[in-house]
Amino acid sequence: MSEKGEVDLTGAKQNTGVWLVKVPKYLSQQWAKATGRGEVGKLRICKNQGKAEVSFTLNEELTAIDGMADKKVQAPREHPFTMQTVGGQTLAVFTETSSGEHKIALEGVVVQRAECRPAVSESYMKLKRIQIEESSKPVRLSQQLEKAVTNNYKPVANHAYNLEYERKKKEEGKRARADKQQVLDMLFSAFEKHQYYNIKDLVDITKQPVIYLKEILRDIGIYNVKGTHKNTWELKPEYRHYQGEEKTDD
Amino acid sequence: MASLGSSSSSATEYTVRVPKNTTKKYSIMAFNAGDKVNCSTWTQARMERDMSARRMYGEEEMPEGAAGSEFGKKQREEARRKKFGIVTREFKVEDQPWILKVNGKAGKRFKGQKKGGVTENASYYIFTQCPDGAFEAFPVHGWYNFTPLAKHRTLTAEEAEEEWGRRNKVVNHFSIMLQRRLREQERGEEEEDETEKAGKKKKKKGGGRGGDLRIHDLEDDLDMSSDDSDSSMGEDGEGKSKAKKEKEAKGKAKKKKRKSSENEAMEDSDDGDYEGLEVDYMSDESSSEEEPEKAKPSKGEEHPKGIDEASESEEESEEEKQNEEEAKEEDEEEDGKKTPVQMEKKKKKDSSGESDSSDDSDIEGEAASALFMVKKRTPPKRGGGRGSGGSSRTGSRPGTPSIDSAATSNTLRAAANKLEQGKRQPQGPGTDTPAAKRLKMEPSSQSPAPSGKSTPQPQSGKSTPSSSDVQLTEEAVRRYLIRKPMTTKDLLKKFQTKRTGLSSEQTVNVLAQILKRLNPERKNVNDKMHFYLTE
Repeated sequence: MSEKGEVDLTGAKQNTGVWLVKVPKYLSQQWAKATGRGEVGKLRICKNQGKAEVSFTLNEELTAIDGMADKKVQAPREHPFTMQTVGGQTLAVFTETSSGEHKIALEGVVVQRAECRPAVSESYMKLKRIQIEESSKPVRLSQQLEKAVTNNYKPVANHAYNLEYERKKKEEGKRARADKQQVLDMLFSAFEKHQYYNIKDLVDITKQPVIYLKEILRDIGIYNVKGTHKNTWELKPEYRHYQGEEKTDD
Repeated sequence: MASLGSSSSSATEYTVRVPKNTTKKYSIMAFNAGDKVNCSTWTQARMERDMSARRMYGEEEMPEGAAGSEFGKKQREEARRKKFGIVTREFKVEDQPWILKVNGKAGKRFKGQKKGGVTENASYYIFTQCPDGAFEAFPVHGWYNFTPLAKHRTLTAEEAEEEWGRRNKVVNHFSIMLQRRLREQERGEEEEDETEKAGKKKKKKGGGRGGDLRIHDLEDDLDMSSDDSDSSMGEDGEGKSKAKKEKEAKGKAKKKKRKSSENEAMEDSDDGDYEGLEVDYMSDESSSEEEPEKAKPSKGEEHPKGIDEASESEEESEEEKQNEEEAKEEDEEEDGKKTPVQMEKKKKKDSSGESDSSDDSDIEGEAASALFMVKKRTPPKRGGGRGSGGSSRTGSRPGTPSIDSAATSNTLRAAANKLEQGKRQPQGPGTDTPAAKRLKMEPSSQSPAPSGKSTPQPQSGKSTPSSSDVQLTEEAVRRYLIRKPMTTKDLLKKFQTKRTGLSSEQTVNVLAQILKRLNPERKNVNDKMHFYLTE
């Protein structure tokens, strides 16, 4: 791990120059479909009386756009680059290995910026139009239904829920008072896990009637307002056995 | 690659490849143009994600299980959050900023924040040329803007708020940070000192701290400015660059540190005396800035006679000088808020229209230096060195409240007192009077700082006046004369009896002796004989 964070500076030292090229979305999508070694096209650099003209030609096979084959829209092939200067800004390129090691290396410095623009053509216009149509569709749509929805009426009492409720009540019945010692055991084991309990939670855990439970709690525990929102029950200090506390009982 | 021949242009074709299975993710590291970053100069670099934004789960929650926990707390908390619509953002490691450290500990540090929206509508690709001439294009996954991190100390939000409230009063903003640094040093020093010293320090500190913060600053400033002026006089004069000041400040900070440690032993019962001195000033000045000083008025009364007069004269001279010196003061690094405050006071005095016949710059310089000296002494602890020096002087002048470093006050009186103390007390490194510039004009002996170095007795070889704000020494006279031609009357005015503690006859005698020794050149201006020196 001593290497972690260490930046490999070979690229910077060699002053490797790279180009930063802004590429339209559709083109990058096409490039993602490249097969084999990843050849996507050809870059032509012409030096015309001092001015360099750079243009990129997309490979034929990559002009088919997914999802639009039937519409006969193809990505344009010619893309001249507009060259720009880096300005005063220093742009360095660094890489991270995404798998496992996370090594960071400085690959080089940007010496030239460029924007890849499609050559204006019929096919490009069509493509753009389709894109715009798609993006202008609203995400949410209001639709009129022909038939009213009838399968979720709001009954006065939820039938399914009601039935379930009644069944539960019948099953459990009134909570029976169990043996005091048993209840105490249950309480102590509960309080071992957490210090503060809500009365409802205790009723749930012990399955005892509230009044009975409260009596028992009054014996062994204290009801504290605690300043925090809920009023909670906790064991009396002498019954506690938490770390840091010395008194124990039972 | 096919090359096309053409008469006026040449074209070459390169294949472009977009490698598919690269494990490396490319990102852009953008630096600001103004930072002038050259990656090839880096010898070593480390970069890690800045994880400070990650909130550990359960960090703020109650202990889970056993003591202190509530049953179902987590669920309740979550339900509560949902009810109120509190949405906590997920912590994504990918989006966290980078911390880049270049060239190890002493090098630069950068923070790289991810720039959003880069990959939304267009993709960036990095085209690199391969050895075989083809281009390879890699998509850029993230763009991080790297900005340099300040290594120097900056103010926290609270401190900044504090300073903001003081911005109208503070003239010299450069010294704000310096003061803080010195304060820290002081605190550090105190911890190291032994108990006896600790006791003293506490006393001093207590006194100083109990007072207005500014007081302390002033004292510091006073101390520092003398140093400042002394050291920088030869160099820049008034146009010190900030950087320079900082360096000097640091140097002075160290000096102060040493001084404080040196002087701490000497400070002894300065508290009361000091405060008394300041009180006098307060009564004379109508400055409302020093509240703590008001508490000291009673003490001030005790101070021997000369102080009132001295302060008065100081005030007068200061007023005229204020305008001049303001600029200088601003330059001085050590000047804390106190100094600017003082300057403002001076300005007020000026505007009040009190006209003074006293020599312009000289007297002002004197006063200013006195003022600054006082200020310097006041900082409670920083000044440990200086202030203590002053206080220790007390011994040599019974009945005179020694200037407590802690009790610095902005008032002229306090300054005068401090000067007095300072002169009596040997100052360590000489210097720190805030009135650096002024000190230039004034004889070094007059500033407490420089004089501080010498023994409680006036510097040997110089005039003897007992500790006073302005010592009538050869050095002092020399300085005046170098600065501008002066008549004997002017010179006498400079060394007012109240300030020097000499009687007028004594002053005359001493001055005459000094002039004999100096043998200045004479010239007649306005039918008056002026003396001047050239060096």
